[in-house]
Amino acid sequence: MNKFGCSPAYARRIRDDIDGVAVADLVETFGSPLFVYSEGFIRKKYRQMHTAFSTRYPNVAFGWSYKTNYLNAICALMHQQGSLAEVVSDMEYEKARALGMPGEKIIFNGPHKPAAALEKAVREGAMIHADHLDELYDLERVAQGAGQPVPLGIRLNLDAGIYPQWSRFGFNLESGQALEAVRRIKNGGKLRLRGLHCHIGTFIMDASAYSRQVKKMVAFAYKVEKLFGFSIEYLDIGGGFPSRNRLKGVYLTPEIALPSVDEFAEAVTETLSKELRPGDFPKLIVEAGRAMVDEAGRLITTVVASKRLPDGTRAYIVDAGVNLLFTANWYKLNIEIDRESGGVNEQSIVYGPLCMNIDVVDEGVQLPPLSRGTRLIVSPVGAYNQTQSMQFIEYRPAAVLIGESGMVDLIREAESLPDIIQREKLPDRLALKKLP
Amino acid sequence: MKTQAKAVFRGYANVFFMPEAGSGIVVLGVTLLCPEMALAGAVAVAASYGFARMIGMEKLFLESGHYTYNPLLVGLSLGYLFKITATAVFLIASAGVITFLATVFMAGIFLTYLRLPVMSLPFVAVSSIVYIASIQYASLPGLMYAARDSMACDVRLPFWLAGFFKAFGAVLFVPSILAGIALSVVVVRHSRILFFLALLGYYVGAAARTLMLGSAAQGFGDVNNFNFIFIAMALGGIFLIPSITSYLLAVISVATAAVLTDAITGLWHYYGIPAFTLPFNVVTLGAASALNAARHPLVPGTACNTPEETLRVASVSRLRFGGQKRTLHLPFAGRWTVWQAFDGQWTHKGSWRYAYDFVITDEHGLTHGGGGVRLEDYHCWKKPVLAPVPGRVAQVVDDLPDSPIGLANATDNWGNAVVIEDARGFFVEISHFASQSIRVKKGDWVEAGTVLGLCGNSGYSPQPHIHVQVQAAGTIGAPSLPFSFVSYIHDGEFKSNSLPGEQCAVEPLYRDKRLDSITNFMLDEEMRYAVLRNGRQVDTLPLTVKMATDGTFYFASPRGQLYFGKHEGAFYMYRVTGADPWLPLFFQALPRMPLAYREKLVWSDYLPANLASSGLRSRLADLFSSVFHRLAAVRVTQTFTNENRIESMIETNLACRRRTASAELDRHKGFASVTVENVTLKLEKNHA
Repeated sequence: MNKFGCSPAYARRIRDDIDGVAVADLVETFGSPLFVYSEGFIRKKYRQMHTAFSTRYPNVAFGWSYKTNYLNAICALMHQQGSLAEVVSDMEYEKARALGMPGEKIIFNGPHKPAAALEKAVREGAMIHADHLDELYDLERVAQGAGQPVPLGIRLNLDAGIYPQWSRFGFNLESGQALEAVRRIKNGGKLRLRGLHCHIGTFIMDASAYSRQVKKMVAFAYKVEKLFGFSIEYLDIGGGFPSRNRLKGVYLTPEIALPSVDEFAEAVTETLSKELRPGDFPKLIVEAGRAMVDEAGRLITTVVASKRLPDGTRAYIVDAGVNLLFTANWYKLNIEIDRESGGVNEQSIVYGPLCMNIDVVDEGVQLPPLSRGTRLIVSPVGAYNQTQSMQFIEYRPAAVLIGESGMVDLIREAESLPDIIQREKLPDRLALKKLP
Repeated sequence: MKTQAKAVFRGYANVFFMPEAGSGIVVLGVTLLCPEMALAGAVAVAASYGFARMIGMEKLFLESGHYTYNPLLVGLSLGYLFKITATAVFLIASAGVITFLATVFMAGIFLTYLRLPVMSLPFVAVSSIVYIASIQYASLPGLMYAARDSMACDVRLPFWLAGFFKAFGAVLFVPSILAGIALSVVVVRHSRILFFLALLGYYVGAAARTLMLGSAAQGFGDVNNFNFIFIAMALGGIFLIPSITSYLLAVISVATAAVLTDAITGLWHYYGIPAFTLPFNVVTLGAASALNAARHPLVPGTACNTPEETLRVASVSRLRFGGQKRTLHLPFAGRWTVWQAFDGQWTHKGSWRYAYDFVITDEHGLTHGGGGVRLEDYHCWKKPVLAPVPGRVAQVVDDLPDSPIGLANATDNWGNAVVIEDARGFFVEISHFASQSIRVKKGDWVEAGTVLGLCGNSGYSPQPHIHVQVQAAGTIGAPSLPFSFVSYIHDGEFKSNSLPGEQCAVEPLYRDKRLDSITNFMLDEEMRYAVLRNGRQVDTLPLTVKMATDGTFYFASPRGQLYFGKHEGAFYMYRVTGADPWLPLFFQALPRMPLAYREKLVWSDYLPANLASSGLRSRLADLFSSVFHRLAAVRVTQTFTNENRIESMIETNLACRRRTASAELDRHKGFASVTVENVTLKLEKNHA
């Protein structure tokens, strides 16, 4: 409630609960800082995105991009909604398997797939997307060993009008590299191409880029089908859809600057219906990550001190910094406070707890005078922050999931010293004390 | 020569509604009880065949049983009357030729105008003619009447039993108990239902005649009683699918035939000729034409070898392939909800009762977010509308405005619409498109799934929705015809051809390229399966893909054939023929499979009861299934447990036994393995 009206001097954003659970209670039970995820939001967002695509094209699957947030609870939630697992490393692959995902429901992307990981993925029937020729050779060796052809997809990179063009992943389309790769697959005789994958970039703010991408992918699929006789069963268009987050330096709010999910879905499916032959419906795979989960995550952090800098700027030190908020590097995150505070807003800097000059959560945010112990609720932070958070200087905090009925589940415990040192080995000659 | 012999034996067997040449040999054997008559029969058949061959109608003669059994019966009837002399042979041979001509003539009329088989009417006609003619030849020295006494070496039985067997033999002019017993054995072996009908017909008919004639001996002993046997067999098991109704019809027809038989015998007797099979032909053909006219649902679509099989095929195909022949895909993508179905409460009434309306609902069951006052609030607003059938666009209206919420356009009810002409002979109209959103034009060819335009609110539409109906005419708003939807999911279950109820959430399934190519079997493709029982190899099963004359594909093993095909979004096993013990396992484990994958998708199908069980259990099911048609089929519930695995539960009807089966798809082509209980067929990979 903002009883000061709309004056920028008094406007403040106050949030004392998340999905009906009091911020104070959350911190009291689970400590600060604290990652808080909303199950209701994730389910609703999934339904919204899935409906946007599936009511416009009859054969749609979603792949949950693990690297966006691979907390087991978040992944399980996505899988429960019907998502495949999209992994980009052996670690993520094993994580998906450990969670109970069978191989055939795992999309294996990424530029580094060790030979042993490839062999396992082939054996378990994963959807492997080859990134480079060396990987094709590895796969041919695996196929040789298995005594039967291996079905696979390849990753394409292409010019969809996006700058910078992502050209480091997969085979380039325009230069003919991709076609050569398929020719190599055909001539090798040990692999069977069944799908195409392409991810044009991240935080794409122009829906028409997807039209250009899909048009090129369909044309390439038909070319490959005609020249080599492969049946392209699916087109994986990657992800890159933006969340309602605000890039630094973008003046407009995300609601105005960013196309809606429906606009993205329309761009993709309209192009499919124009470019595909009548009656041909290869599976459309969408690897939405950020757009699906970013807004579902918030971080509660606590003001531990306030300072006045020599230039007169108000500064606060909070207990979470860039060790937990990697995306604060490029997003201007929303900062809400958990309680009313009298006084006029002041341009303030929010520093994290690290003893590092770069640890800045926000270089300039209008905040009223905050007392110690005030909680800041930083959002949206559901994407990439959990997975990229560091065991650097500080312990990593707990994460909780608020269920649709308001129950709170701890989905990751706060770390303590053993988490930091358990893998370390101290040579005896360096021991400072006798170990028990 | 072999073909001819087989066709002739088949003709002999046909007299008793049996199609196998083997049974015909026994029938021939029975006629041999009186060698002279057997010879007469053979002469008539030979003359008839010879003539057919001479005028180039040999093929027709061999194809259809009535060209054999009519001259056979004529020959037997004349052999019964005369001793075999040169003159008699001449007479019999000419009667054979006349019979052929009469059969061609009558069969033409019957098939064309009445859609009925000619049965043994030619025999009745020709035999009656020759009998009448022979009155003139009474004094001819070359023609001697024979005194046939087939009772000479007969067994003694009570009159009510002897009468049955005699009547059975009497159709071959051998009214002997032994002949009757021999024929009974063949009929029982062939079909229990037919034999049951024979008994039913005889006793009902004999009782009726006893009632009318006042004498049990006369009622039960008359040789003409074979007519009752044949009426019951034909109506109870051949012209109708065996059922309580068919049995009742058989009883009623036999009872009425008693009077008719008395009338005909009385009249014919005046000229000294027996009634032959006239009562049978008149009553059966009369009832059959009435059934045809009534389009009775129990008239079988395909005639099979035995009534049991007819029943099984009919019950199983009704259960397996229900729904209408006018089939549509759902006209959208994703999950939509049925707002109004056939005979709906608002507008689907009268001439327009066969129509469906669809909207999109959210998790709260609402069709809109926000306040629901703007068109944009509605979930289905401007969502693509897909062509439900392949066909030619016959009409397009695109320029009507979208009505604001709550204000329906009552002048142009149908709003913006597309009419598609389906090559199967009907039109599909889809209505209420958004203004100026239609992307096809008159004359365009569309495939099922082509985007036609966007969902809107034009015409008489209180909120955005899709209206679809099937019409006999191409004009917008023409009266509607019944139809059904193919290949969709409702409540996690795959429906091949069905109609969802109102408020049901449904999602269309379009053919998935992966499953499509896995089931894309090429002619002459070869596969080898190892047969494992409890994990130990007991046999191997080589399969080759072949095509039958009707265009269906089948897997041929050295001992049998398994027919399969794809139809409107699903892969089907159609039937198994031959004696291969392993081929039925494929059918049991995978009678059908949707050609699109969804996790945990469930569907059900039915197997012919004889395929799912064997021996006594199967015989019992056969016998009782005429009373309880459900017993003819066995339900199979199937589930996709992953994208390559289907698990099935086969529920047997008798003794409530459940069996499990599973099928594993190969990653590239075909079935990697198929398991039914403890037997597994495992694809042997070709490493070459």
